[in-house]
Amino acid sequence: MTEIQHTLSLTRHDRPAGPVLLKVAGELDHHTAPRLTAALDDITFDAGTRLVIDLTELTYCDSTGITVLVTAYNRATAAGASLGLAGVNPDLLRVFHVVGLDQVFTFHPTVDDALAPPHS
Amino acid sequence: MTASTPTRVLTPSSGEEVSGEEARLAAVRRYQVLGTAPDGAFDRIAALAARVFDAPMASVSVVDADRVWFAATHGLDGITQIGRDPGLCASAILHGEPYVVPDARTDPRALSHPLVRGEPGIRFYAAAPITTRDGQRLGTVDVWDTRPRRPSDDQLAALQDLAALVMDEMELRLSALRTVAAERDRRADAERLARTLQRTLLPPALPAVPGLQAAAAYHTASADEVGGDFYDLFPLDDGRWAFFIGDVCGKGADAAALTSLTRYTLRAAAIYDPDPCAALANLDTVLKGEYQGDDPRHCTALFGVLDPAPDGSFALTLAGGGHPPALALRADATVEALSTAGGQLIGLLPRPRFVRTTTRLRPGEALLMYTDGLIEAHAPDGTMLGQDGLTAHLSRARPRSADHLLSSVDELLRRLGPGVTDDTALLALSVPPRLAPPTQETR
Repeated sequence: MTEIQHTLSLTRHDRPAGPVLLKVAGELDHHTAPRLTAALDDITFDAGTRLVIDLTELTYCDSTGITVLVTAYNRATAAGASLGLAGVNPDLLRVFHVVGLDQVFTFHPTVDDALAPPHS
Repeated sequence: MTASTPTRVLTPSSGEEVSGEEARLAAVRRYQVLGTAPDGAFDRIAALAARVFDAPMASVSVVDADRVWFAATHGLDGITQIGRDPGLCASAILHGEPYVVPDARTDPRALSHPLVRGEPGIRFYAAAPITTRDGQRLGTVDVWDTRPRRPSDDQLAALQDLAALVMDEMELRLSALRTVAAERDRRADAERLARTLQRTLLPPALPAVPGLQAAAAYHTASADEVGGDFYDLFPLDDGRWAFFIGDVCGKGADAAALTSLTRYTLRAAAIYDPDPCAALANLDTVLKGEYQGDDPRHCTALFGVLDPAPDGSFALTLAGGGHPPALALRADATVEALSTAGGQLIGLLPRPRFVRTTTRLRPGEALLMYTDGLIEAHAPDGTMLGQDGLTAHLSRARPRSADHLLSSVDELLRRLGPGVTDDTALLALSVPPRLAPPTQETR
């Protein structure tokens, strides 16, 4: 990725089998958050839908960004779908811990871990 | 085209001329070209004027109340201003068209001008007025020669074009000045707004709590974007005291509205049920009711209740909803985080958990609560201060009182400088150490 500042890039991969993968790279703040909201609104959550949001290249996330992620999580859970976060960096993980979201989201160390078939 | 009309000299007794000149001088001041450094753009225009006439000297001049200032010169080395003697520049601004003196030595309008009588012995002078849109002539673009000459109509037309170019440049400069001034006003407005918001959202002064010292501070990171940090300290009906500190998501006017709602909700909640977890749960319900659907808003907060004991200590019950932990500075100088880990954001989750902890604040001990702007500040080397960095700082500084605690954190924030990118609210409480029995003072 070449985006450096105040940019957010979103890439969505719909895989025929397995979870929908949404890659979020760059800065997620009150300027860029509406774009992530729009991208998440495009995803239809049904019972059994799996969404993995790849945050490996997310360099910044403020409280507005957290709101967007939690709102998507609420929608997914209400529909019986699942939402996981992959590649969350240690600083952001600390923030999730402080605000108590470490008990809410499923965290995957890497995208590969997230895409692995669910254990039966 | 050549100026054969007799020279009009300004007569102070003529009211109309004077008021016309006053309007012209006001225009000169408006464009603020006086007293500015020689400008590259005007230098090029003067050089171009000299080249068009194949003349040795040219200038861009501005006629002030009693002097003629050269905004740019070409070949007039060392001359930056001349007196406003009639005959040349001072006469040229009285005309809407180019003003030409083909041979100053034989021209009654110009022959007594100092530049004609003395050095450099000007013979030829041509000028086109620099005219504002509303018809005020600020000065002229001039061409000078020590030989008499007759300019062509083309040359005079070019001189007028150059004067129009100077005017365009001055308009640009004026509009830039106005933009800068407007930007300055806008910033001043934003700062005023920030101060007003803080006055509205934060308690004007903390109440005096018997047996307790309390201090609070609000550090703004940006004058433009007011953050939504808040705190309060207030009495409950039964002799206990309640306090809270928190941070709403977002910035600016929206955050201010949310902060205000949050603060009043927590105060009202405490009246019905001062249990700290119940107060946070009440706030959670209110936020969800107020901000439904597409625009959910959340906050983090610590809510505490202090119950004074006869031995001078305070029993403290503290509940956290997604907020960094309070730090207790113990009498033995250790810094203890009062963990409310597991407590979740308020106003966002379907069934949030709030976590309670209890402790006792004894004489000589202090408590610091803060918002995440403090621990998320970065040192110049890029590392985040974090709770560990804050704890280390307090362990070294060993502040004893609430006031001392705040000044110590203030010093830390100043040291981090531009690394502090978010607003920070601070609330400090301390129980003064018990004094030895008072001794009689002698004078």
